[in-house]
Amino acid sequence: MQEVAAVAIEQTELISAIDTVWVSICAAIIFLMEGGFALLEAGFVRSKNAMSIIAKVFIDITFGGLAFYAIGFGIAYGSSNGWFAFDTGITENDLGLGLTVSNKLFWFIQLGFAIAAISIVSGAVAERMKVWSYALFVIIFCAIMYPLAANWVWNPNGWLALRGFNDFAGSAAVHAMGGFAALAAAIVLGPRLGKYDQNGQAVAIPGHNLPLAAVGGFILWFGWFGFNPGSTLGAVGNWELIGTIATNTFLASAAGGVSTILYTYFKYGQIDITMTINGVLAGLVAVTAGCNVVDSGSAIIIGLTAGVLVDVAVLFIDKIKIDDPVGAIAVHGVNGLFGTIAVGLFASEDGLFFGGGTDLLITQAIGVLVIGSFSFIVTFILLKIMKKTIGIRVNRSEEDAGIDAVSFGVEAYTTFE
Amino acid sequence: MKKVEAIIRPSKLKAVQRGLKEAGIPCLTVVPVKGSGLQKSYSERYRGTEQSMILKTRIMIMCIVSDANLEICIDTILDNSSESSVGDGKIFIYNVEEAIRIRTRTRGAEAIK
Repeated sequence: MQEVAAVAIEQTELISAIDTVWVSICAAIIFLMEGGFALLEAGFVRSKNAMSIIAKVFIDITFGGLAFYAIGFGIAYGSSNGWFAFDTGITENDLGLGLTVSNKLFWFIQLGFAIAAISIVSGAVAERMKVWSYALFVIIFCAIMYPLAANWVWNPNGWLALRGFNDFAGSAAVHAMGGFAALAAAIVLGPRLGKYDQNGQAVAIPGHNLPLAAVGGFILWFGWFGFNPGSTLGAVGNWELIGTIATNTFLASAAGGVSTILYTYFKYGQIDITMTINGVLAGLVAVTAGCNVVDSGSAIIIGLTAGVLVDVAVLFIDKIKIDDPVGAIAVHGVNGLFGTIAVGLFASEDGLFFGGGTDLLITQAIGVLVIGSFSFIVTFILLKIMKKTIGIRVNRSEEDAGIDAVSFGVEAYTTFE
Repeated sequence: MKKVEAIIRPSKLKAVQRGLKEAGIPCLTVVPVKGSGLQKSYSERYRGTEQSMILKTRIMIMCIVSDANLEICIDTILDNSSESSVGDGKIFIYNVEEAIRIRTRTRGAEAIK
């Protein structure tokens, strides 16, 4: 009898050990995505602001990370009444998620999601936002705003979780959340100087280092193979699911790249490479919600759609005078929205196209619309208040000279030697 | 002494440099430049938005030569930099007042020999 008990203990130990290896590797891969955001955004801005955007990503991780530790995690995963929870630090209580890894490791992988969400915003506010105002927003976003969305979607008692909302790795909770905050921030900040001419026509402000931006895109792409498969939160019992998720993640991203390449080629007569970076990312964002419940064909269709959506959205956002230097709103906002709703259409069991009726579709639409509106409205109000009080935009002369030199006293490319 | 300033296609730099070296006037300074010639406008597209007033990438070569070497230098550049098409570039010649070799403090035509 004792022997049986010993074997049983040994088994849970082994399961925890295997799952811990899996989750910690995925968490580290997700963490690397911050490097991807930094390079992507730095490459897409002018060289005079390249270091300021790196600084913003550092702030995302450092200020945002501590805020998510101190308050954010408790709000997201504490004992929830459906809408919010309150706890501080990393609780030792059972979170009700059936975790086989420690709460601390779970916190660490969730940290990656929180700072990914805020890093979406850093791109859209590039080249014009004051660094301390940005830091304040980062703290509020990572301590309260993002954790509320995570609570609704992933806390076992969250109101969306209870409705059967399927947002596997966060098309809504991470990407729509970040994307719609980015939209509000770009609107309140206004466009960069010189982005629109006297006639209101959009002027291209080319990024200063497009290969750097592409490398950032590749690192994000790599990171997604931690982001989506890692959201299984354990390898034991999930070996088939992990294969499905990794494959779907790749297929959607490749399809997003293909449709952007074809779309821009037929529209402009040339392939637009910088848009292709966005097209791949759009496919990734769109499949993030449903990568666990769609089949391979559906993943490809989701990716193809996302790749076209992002091209149309970038031009549309430009046209309505919202200046998003890196395309964050089109990639994460628009495709977060699309990807979440697509689950309701393409899910193999409950999707509308597979005879599952409209229940899931409605739940998905409600969920992502609530999260998107919540993120947009709260960001809009917060930044309006900050604009009136502490100011959110660098002054004109600083914007002309470049934030790097004026605020940070550095240049990205500095000496002759 | 004259200063020869030639704006040429980047793809022609190696040929011009080799030509000058073979002609015995190997000293040159090269600057990557962007600029516009007589052509009215170039445009490119960046993320779906048309960019007008694009400046073309060219290389500016600066050579300080003795009066005796001037025509050889010009001919060498002309022979090696043309595609016989619009955008080949220009050559400008200036008088040089003085030249000083930093190591020896030698002045005048001696300094560039």
